[in-house]
Amino acid sequence: MRQVTAVGIRHPGATRQRNRRYMLWSFLLLIALTLVLPLVPYAVAYLQTQAQNSSAVPNPGTELWNTIRQRDQAVIGKTQASQVGAGTLINKRGEEWRRFRMEKLVPYSAILLGGVLGLILLFYLIRGSMRLPGGRSGKRILRFSLNERSVHWFAAILFWILALTGLITLYGRFVLIPLLGAEGFSLTASVSLMIHNFLGPLFLLAIIALFFTFVKNNFFACIDWQWLAKAGGLLKQHASAGRFNAGEKIWFWLAVILGLTLCISGLILDFPNLGQSRVVMSWSHVVHGISAITMIAVSFGHIYLGTAGMEGSLESMTTGYVDANWAKAHHDLWYEEVQNNSESETTEPLTPAPETK
Amino acid sequence: MARMKFFCDVERCIECNGCVTACKNANERPWGVSRRRVVTIKDGEPGERSLSVACMHCTDAPCAAVCPVDVFYTRDDGVVLHDKERCIGCGYCLFACPFGAPQFPQQGAFGRRGKMDKCTFCAGGPVADNSEKEFELYGANRLAQGKLPLCAEMCSTKALLAGDASVISNIFRKRVFNRGASVFTTGVSHQNAALRAVPRKPGGRASTKD
Repeated sequence: MRQVTAVGIRHPGATRQRNRRYMLWSFLLLIALTLVLPLVPYAVAYLQTQAQNSSAVPNPGTELWNTIRQRDQAVIGKTQASQVGAGTLINKRGEEWRRFRMEKLVPYSAILLGGVLGLILLFYLIRGSMRLPGGRSGKRILRFSLNERSVHWFAAILFWILALTGLITLYGRFVLIPLLGAEGFSLTASVSLMIHNFLGPLFLLAIIALFFTFVKNNFFACIDWQWLAKAGGLLKQHASAGRFNAGEKIWFWLAVILGLTLCISGLILDFPNLGQSRVVMSWSHVVHGISAITMIAVSFGHIYLGTAGMEGSLESMTTGYVDANWAKAHHDLWYEEVQNNSESETTEPLTPAPETK
Repeated sequence: MARMKFFCDVERCIECNGCVTACKNANERPWGVSRRRVVTIKDGEPGERSLSVACMHCTDAPCAAVCPVDVFYTRDDGVVLHDKERCIGCGYCLFACPFGAPQFPQQGAFGRRGKMDKCTFCAGGPVADNSEKEFELYGANRLAQGKLPLCAEMCSTKALLAGDASVISNIFRKRVFNRGASVFTTGVSHQNAALRAVPRKPGGRASTKD
């Protein structure tokens, strides 16, 4: 070859041949580069992923189970089964709900309810029942109309039926099974669950009626802050209030808001045939449990002040009438208002009031 | 003591739903109650796999933990059963179960839940073995007859295995060994694989009696 080239230098034909060869190689190089260069980014990307993967050996089994266990994102599979949520292989919310119910709701609610009852008892032992200052005057004032009393007792009785049946479901396993035995408690729980589920929707009516009956006197006013600052006269100082004091107003709004929350979450739990998923139902149960326990705890305070805690309170919800001295002591602004309005309609001397309306 | 377990081999399950049919046939559950179901993930995509799932008979069963009437019990062989006669149909076991195993027949008004029904590992319930009452409430009691659950017995590819955990894990260990470690060495990812991983040099037997 070398000889041929050496010869080619001398002859013009050989130069042409060499040029042609250069041309050919240039073309081949050009084609090769055209083909290869665009692949460079791919190669870089490939090498990068190789570098990343070299640290962790990909294990298809691990990946598959990560997918199934919903580690990174919710994965819904396809299935022939028609139940709601059948496509979910592992529902990891289940364990969270179990922990909430068994490790938080059951012990903490027991502590809260027991604590509130204990505090009320302690308060009663220290302070005793709040007597009417100056005894009874004998003069009675209409505080709640028959309509208002009906709505109150409808909501109150329904609330306690639902609260008791709910508490049986919550604590029965720990409290009632040792007392009634497994068979006996099963019957109790079955009946109480049915009562709870069937009467539950009625509570929505009770809350709506309660709202429209009492809302007009329950808007917060400036006087309520002063009442709260004096702790509502619990510490033996006088706190003036209108028809409802700030404590009653707070209870009213709590009852309405918690009541509606209970109704909505309860209705979600009550109708499993509407196609809601079990995750939605378990979250509803969380909301239902927390709001129910709060409402029961606050209702203890309301019941205490309405009965044993304060002389002359209960008769306002049973007969509808209160003693004038009671009104003066606890709702002085309302008393003045009533006095100024009409003497004949709302007040009645001495004789017990007949059930009017 | 044997510890009863289900195991579904995802590399073998072909989503034929034979186990679902077998379960229905063995236990004669009411309409709307399906103790076992087959779920396919990534259906029609690379890495598609199917799994047959029912009650997994958990050691620390969430259903048993949350049940307000405490009807669940675990047998000595690890099978989780429940006393249907005491069940109140509250649905808490369904909220807590990770696998969606508890089933509720609709009973009466407003979609009210009836008594919960779930896979019994073909072991009946807390009444006399193979009595008429047991079959009506809980379905078959094949374990008492010395047989394994029908779903696994009838699985066409033997993907679904049921029985003593040590025996099952042994079978699966042999399968993995025979498939070779190709999936580990070639880095075939289940997310990317269009086909199931095949060993480059098939060394082991493709299938065995197991």
